[in-house]
Amino acid sequence: MNAFIKNMLVVARRDFLAIVATPTFLLFLLAPLFMVGMGLVGGMGASQLADSARGAGRIVAVADAANVEALRAADTRLRTAMPREPALLELRVASPANRDSLAIAREKGSDTYAVLSGPLASPRIVEREPGSSSGRYLALLAGEVLRARAAGPLPPVTPTYENLSSGGTSIAAQQSLGFGAVFAIFLLTLLLAGQTVSSLAEEKGNKVIEILAAAVPLESVFLGKLLGFLGVAVLFIAFWMVMAVGGGLVAMTQMDPAAIAAAGGASKAAATLTAAPAVGWPFFLGIGFAYFVMSFLLLGAVFLGVGAQAATVREIQMLSLPITIFQVGMFSLCAASASAPGSNLATFAQIFPFSSPLAMAARAATDDSIGVHLAALGWQAIWVALVIFLSVRLFRAGVLSGRSDWRFWRRAGRAAAAAAQATSLDRH
Amino acid sequence: MTDLSVEAVGLTKYFEAYKAVDHVSLQVPAGSIYGVLGPNGAGKTTSLRMMLGIIDPDEGTSRLLGGHKPQSVRHRIGYLPEERGLYPGMKAREAIAFMGALRGLDWSEGRRRAATFMTELGLERVIDEKIRKMSKGMAQMIQLIGSIVHAPDLIVLDEPFSGLDPVNQERLEMLVRRERDRGATILFSTHVMAHAERLCDRLAIIARSQRRFEGTVDEARALLPMQVRYTPRSEAGRDAVAALLPAGAELRGEAWHFAIEDGDVEPLLSRITTSHLGVTGLSISRPALHDAFVHIVRQVDASFDADAAGDIGGIDGETGA
Repeated sequence: MNAFIKNMLVVARRDFLAIVATPTFLLFLLAPLFMVGMGLVGGMGASQLADSARGAGRIVAVADAANVEALRAADTRLRTAMPREPALLELRVASPANRDSLAIAREKGSDTYAVLSGPLASPRIVEREPGSSSGRYLALLAGEVLRARAAGPLPPVTPTYENLSSGGTSIAAQQSLGFGAVFAIFLLTLLLAGQTVSSLAEEKGNKVIEILAAAVPLESVFLGKLLGFLGVAVLFIAFWMVMAVGGGLVAMTQMDPAAIAAAGGASKAAATLTAAPAVGWPFFLGIGFAYFVMSFLLLGAVFLGVGAQAATVREIQMLSLPITIFQVGMFSLCAASASAPGSNLATFAQIFPFSSPLAMAARAATDDSIGVHLAALGWQAIWVALVIFLSVRLFRAGVLSGRSDWRFWRRAGRAAAAAAQATSLDRH
Repeated sequence: MTDLSVEAVGLTKYFEAYKAVDHVSLQVPAGSIYGVLGPNGAGKTTSLRMMLGIIDPDEGTSRLLGGHKPQSVRHRIGYLPEERGLYPGMKAREAIAFMGALRGLDWSEGRRRAATFMTELGLERVIDEKIRKMSKGMAQMIQLIGSIVHAPDLIVLDEPFSGLDPVNQERLEMLVRRERDRGATILFSTHVMAHAERLCDRLAIIARSQRRFEGTVDEARALLPMQVRYTPRSEAGRDAVAALLPAGAELRGEAWHFAIEDGDVEPLLSRITTSHLGVTGLSISRPALHDAFVHIVRQVDASFDADAAGDIGGIDGETGA
């Protein structure tokens, strides 16, 4: 084996084992569980808040006793057809006690969005917000009651629903998949690439870096570190892939296929889960992994190169911050491009080297062309090589303060100053 | 091919405006033990780093092991840096095997050799101990083993004795001699003269960024005159004795102390034996390396004090190159 590769593998092996063979790695491995757990807790809290808020709100219709049941029936018919379910309808029989609509609207104990009173043909509607949907819904109820009365009894409508089974996955679901890919790659990259800097800080702190620099080319150290942490990342991803596939298989054996299909149609999230990316799942997962590797190498190399300039952990944190912010910017760009496939923004994100891996992963979800991904991988590989080359120069300049300055113009300036000083001393 | 393990010519390094190393040249013969001596901050470590290619010199070149560039013979070099560094979470045997693997040694062979070395040095009880649980001296011995585990042809040790207790210093000296007997060249820096005096075949003294001396230990000691301590038997008057001895002789208690050059020993003995003064005590000794070192460094410092901006040149024929 080539000595350079061998050196690189020695460094990679050390870094990989130093991370994996520790109890804290278990915590790291299970970190997504904590994130999901926190998300669930937060989601449940938000959902409970929303439910309680919805329960506390109401709309009120004050009508003659003869109209109350008709209004109730109309509400039952129309409520489910509304794009957003109206607040709970409270029906009151008109009486002297219920004469003041404003007083009803201001009753304590619940939020009253609108109050209908008076004859159904010309109702008086008091609403909290002018032109609110609650007010319009109460007007619609009154109209529905009057229309039903005018038309007399109608035969019940018996529709036959058919599923658009041949239409494939919707564009919206594929865009959601694309966004998911962008998010997953961004999160994993940020989580794992940043660790390379911590490793470098450790080596600068315990002075091992001089032993490494004396024993092997710094390029080997650099690439070995990237490889070691990529190994950690692959282990991390493989673990969760196995968990996901295993969990999916268990779920499929335990659940009724009809129930799964029904769940698919029940919500947008479930529809996304049962959707397929444009290039198909196997290619999507494979190319997604390849883009993750590219993104990791790009960001890891930048982190290492810049992090090597720092002398202390605090400096490393300070230097890492702009890179993290930059990466968040790339995420925002790619998230926007995922929701606008084919746009100029998406094209820019796919070409710009630091957003390209994420944006191209999103493209794989909505565009079924395959060749473009090979071209993108080649383009990104060029940039990975370029960034690694420049980062190694930075690394060499920063990791041992005695290294010659990579800024050649400053080096030349210093040499000239030294020569001038020497001449001056000779004269003296 | 040459029989030099290290051939450094005109190494110079600036740190910003400060000239840390000024045209230092060294020729280290293959199979020798070579000491680089100098006070703190003289430029020893920077010189060694440049020789090994860890940092780039601003001027000068370094060739190792028969004219090779340092980067091309890394696997044949063992290096113990001044600032000791080990991964605290690694076990001793693994740390040694890791350092060997960096130089191309197979991991399993590295582990085997680590166990052998540690047993020989009385460290077998900490073979599987983590570095963070070890004393500083013990960790230093582990690192030293790590730097020679791959049987290098050139071993460079930067201040290897600092931080070691006398027992471990003795072990280290034994190890250095054994490696030399194996055929390796050992280049080490120190500011403790006793080790250099016992170990070195040749040495260089660096002070104020320049090489000020290069030669054997005896040649260094010969820079200073012989030290004589003479106690006459007769109760002759002070002036009579003083007339017999060289100018500058000083009476301390009953003994006269003075310095003489090599060629003056026999004439002095002749004068004493032919005189009626007799001899109660007489010792003629070469100064220690320590004295020669202090003499050189003080002379350099004095020159700097006299003219901080001037080029002070060399000592006793040395040009400082």
